[in-house]
Amino acid sequence: MSEASLRGKAAIIGIGQSPVGKVPGRSPLWLAADAAQKAIADAGLKKTAIDGVLSGHAFASPFHRFSIAFSEYFGLQPTFSNTLQVSGATAATMFSIGAAAIQAGLAENVLIVAADSLMTGLSPDLALRSLTESRDQQYEMPFGIPVANTFAMTAHRHMKEFGTTAEQLAEVAVIHRRHASRTPGAQQTKPITIEDVLTSGMVTTPYHKLDCSLISDGGAAFVLTSAARAKGLGIAKPIYILGAGECYTHEHIFLMPSLTTTGAVESSRKAYTMAGYGPHDLHTAGVYDCFTGTVIMMLEDLGFCPKGEGGPYAVSGEITYSGRIPINTHGGLLSFAHPGIPGSLFHFHEVIAQLRGHCGERQVPGAELGLVHSLGAGFATNATTILGTENTL
Amino acid sequence: MSVDAARKPLPAPDPDTARLWEGLRQGKLLLQHCDDCKHVQYYQQALCRACGSENLTHRPASGHGKVHSFSVVHRAPGPAFKADVPYAVLLVELQEGPRMISTYVGGNPAEVTFDMDVTLVCEQVSDEITLPRFRRAG
Repeated sequence: MSEASLRGKAAIIGIGQSPVGKVPGRSPLWLAADAAQKAIADAGLKKTAIDGVLSGHAFASPFHRFSIAFSEYFGLQPTFSNTLQVSGATAATMFSIGAAAIQAGLAENVLIVAADSLMTGLSPDLALRSLTESRDQQYEMPFGIPVANTFAMTAHRHMKEFGTTAEQLAEVAVIHRRHASRTPGAQQTKPITIEDVLTSGMVTTPYHKLDCSLISDGGAAFVLTSAARAKGLGIAKPIYILGAGECYTHEHIFLMPSLTTTGAVESSRKAYTMAGYGPHDLHTAGVYDCFTGTVIMMLEDLGFCPKGEGGPYAVSGEITYSGRIPINTHGGLLSFAHPGIPGSLFHFHEVIAQLRGHCGERQVPGAELGLVHSLGAGFATNATTILGTENTL
Repeated sequence: MSVDAARKPLPAPDPDTARLWEGLRQGKLLLQHCDDCKHVQYYQQALCRACGSENLTHRPASGHGKVHSFSVVHRAPGPAFKADVPYAVLLVELQEGPRMISTYVGGNPAEVTFDMDVTLVCEQVSDEITLPRFRRAG
């Protein structure tokens, strides 16, 4: 391990999330402030202790510099701040950049915060359009290719190459809904069946409506500090960043090197190496679930199962309670909430709550080591974070 | 609904991409061939993505390719595409190697299959813009 490694150098000492789902009359800045207040209180700090703010963009906010607009709204004048943009992978990068900034002495206590109101802050057509406009205007968008379509083409090819079935995809949605049914405040909690998914109406083949994640309002926030400071503050259960890795393989979907093997292979390999742990050491994970097929491909690329076996693995019970690695115990983007850039922060919130042992009836017994994988833009962006308790240091 | 949301997005040719769109207006899909490392690339840009050379020559593609993957859109990405659904978005692998995004024309989107042979169709959509689409070969 190199001297410069981030392993164990930074700890998450506060977590908070706003109400999620349909939260009318509340701006992204309010949702962010609500989550931030909770995270800072959870850490037992005053907001004056925050000297760094990292954030992501919000579609429903007019501000180009969300982290700066947020700081003004919340009454902060940070000395380290940025608004990051690598689509769905932004969440994980906020943790590694925050940890690196702390290690480098750029900031002491970094607030990670993102929120958006895709459900009530934008009309449905404009919400969809906000997603399509993230595709290239020269070579993709003139053909009417929503971001869902890029993910759909990867899953479709996965079905062709490995025999993954529509029923296996559907089962992923069913499991996520079952998980969300135990999560207070989740957006969708009504149980569903494979049949419900398959008859929910086609969006873009092979994805039916219930294969797709939600469109939501909501936000989450975290307080990150150095491991030494976490100790000094007497934090009961700091959760450490043990490993981090990123990988960016393309911008245009037609330049993705392989439609069925993604940059998650490399981002997770780097994270596992830094952490000194492998996939089979994990007790729980947050796996980016913008679509059901995305989960199946990630189970393979994160090393939970061999390439091509993600479908059978997902339906074998290994990704839920009493399985090998229960994932997305809050219900994920498919059933808990998906407000865009902040979506993957809820995976962090859940994995951290699991590692703290605070998940009540959702608790994975003895969870000490977890992983979160964030990705976006048709697998253009991938970032993996490995988190653990003091026992895993 | 805003006028903008109802209008289909069209490419805006710029110094990097102008030749490609000019070629399509003349019914040719231009690929860039690197004179130094022989890499063939779509889309048009000033540097070879493989070796960084600026010695790039445009040559028209044969127009033959295979469907590497596809997805039939049933729910339009915004109002501009509502009248078109269902339509098949294709990820075409050209005979020369590069892949590109396009849409299927000249048939029912339900007939598209993996590895299906397809042929280029240049479809004029405005004075300036002609889009490369694909139909079933033969």
